[in-house]
Amino acid sequence: MRLVPRHLWLSLATAPIVGFFALPFLYLLAVSLKTKDDVLNGHFWPTAPTLANWPAAFEAANILGFIVNSVIVSLLAGSLTIALTLPSAYAMLRLKIGGRWLSDVTLSSYMAPPIVALIPLFFLLKASGLLDTRTGLVLIYGFANVPVAFWLLTPFLRRMPIEIEQAAAIDGAGPLRILLQIVVPIIAPGIVATFIIVTMLAYNEFLFASAFTFSDATRTLPVGISLFQGDRLVNFGQMAAASLAGIAPVYLIALFMQRYLVSGLAHGAVK
Amino acid sequence: MTVFTLDALGPDANRKTWRRGTLSARFGRALWIVPVVLALAVTTFYPTVFLLGLAFSKSTLGKPFRGFVGIKHFATVLQDPVFLSAIGRSVAYAFSTSLLQLAFGFLIALLFTSLLKGGRFLTSLVLLPLMTPPVMVGIAWKLIFAPAGGLLNGTLINAGMISQPIWFLGHPLFAWLAIAVADLWQWTPFIVILCFAALSTIPEGVREAALVDGANGWQRFWHITLPLVAAPLSSIYLLKLILSLKLFDLVYILTFGGPGFATTSAGFSIYRRAIEQFDVGRAAAETIIYALVIGLATLPVVRLHQHFERREL
Repeated sequence: MRLVPRHLWLSLATAPIVGFFALPFLYLLAVSLKTKDDVLNGHFWPTAPTLANWPAAFEAANILGFIVNSVIVSLLAGSLTIALTLPSAYAMLRLKIGGRWLSDVTLSSYMAPPIVALIPLFFLLKASGLLDTRTGLVLIYGFANVPVAFWLLTPFLRRMPIEIEQAAAIDGAGPLRILLQIVVPIIAPGIVATFIIVTMLAYNEFLFASAFTFSDATRTLPVGISLFQGDRLVNFGQMAAASLAGIAPVYLIALFMQRYLVSGLAHGAVK
Repeated sequence: MTVFTLDALGPDANRKTWRRGTLSARFGRALWIVPVVLALAVTTFYPTVFLLGLAFSKSTLGKPFRGFVGIKHFATVLQDPVFLSAIGRSVAYAFSTSLLQLAFGFLIALLFTSLLKGGRFLTSLVLLPLMTPPVMVGIAWKLIFAPAGGLLNGTLINAGMISQPIWFLGHPLFAWLAIAVADLWQWTPFIVILCFAALSTIPEGVREAALVDGANGWQRFWHITLPLVAAPLSSIYLLKLILSLKLFDLVYILTFGGPGFATTSAGFSIYRRAIEQFDVGRAAAETIIYALVIGLATLPVVRLHQHFERREL
């Protein structure tokens, strides 16, 4: 008897929460379908929906080029982060190389805000001729996200039953072979989740990208969009359309990979 | 001779083997951690040393290291009320909004846990704000708070509550609230996911035992649930605190530090000093002072976290 009202009550509490989190998406969508005059009347939904903002946004700025830059940079940076972190994390955890000290330093290095690295990295990129290049951004993101990947990967490594590795070692497999042929396939879901998260961090990053790129050929999407809104001819409809276009790739990945993502994030925290 | 030993694999004798191992064997072991050491060198050690160098020298973005100036930059920074209040605001913002988000996220996670199957689905759904690029989050909320044609003003006017649109982002307090709302929207889902995971580690038996003993809902929450998740909650708070102290993107998009310097965070202030005014010497000193303040301010939370972690063992 009591169960039904309780459930109803919980569902009622859930509705405004879901509404709050859905609001900005729905509003971006609504605004992207509004004409300039329609924006000003202050209603939520457009009175006369139009698709004109979408092609106009892509013409007003090089949105497609920014998306391509972002996708290339983030995928390469994500791969680099995994390639750097996986062997080292495995070595620290299982081979006891570097020990607890290195692991602590790696994790605590994440505490420093990125602004600390901004100026020094600017000079480093300038000296190596990588300022305003996609390669420069790939390297920076690839390195900078190592602590995050380390934090996310270690619980998966730790939870792997050591007996399997021991058996392989007795059979004469070297550590590199054990890592690649035995450990990697088993913790693949964790690696996938980590890869998605660090790739997404690179895709979303704004501070470094805004300071290290100054031409349309290298700008990533967040920087491109931020310039879009800096222009005085601010057109809300186009801005909303451009923003949604930039969000779309991330959401597609999120929808297909949600299972990996939630478990990947959750394992890191709970240990 | 095997060069490596698996943890818990062999007797201690095995471990001694590598200690006495050849130089090349040791080199082979060290290779494993080169990638992480390299990453730390580039993103942490080198910037720290470089910043110290800049902070004590006459430096611009075009011409760094033009002569030693001693503690001149630090003296300037410590006498600059604009920057000091930016630090104060950043720290106050981080502590208060993180606590608010932790409470809000924990409540939502409790709610989702009660919903069982639906909760799992909702947890996946709330992933979306977390994945949204912060710049786009800023733009979405900027459209909502806009004076002309913004959703909030439109709703208030249509409801007859105000007659003239309010420029929310042009008001010092409202502008901060706008940043806090956008921040809450983006990061609470992350906290929900982490709290949801922490709550799901509580064995069902614990709850049942409390039920059998006749504990009511509040008692179960206060004496059973909360102590069991105290350690993860403290680490979630610490994590969010660290993320909040990095506040930059939302300020850049929503307010650009204004009105005046009202919403200028420490990070944003340093960015403008270096990238717009090219005064990297002073910006470096500002960065070092901000980093020290962060270290000191988060120390109590780190201690609290360690306290809970130890208690768990």
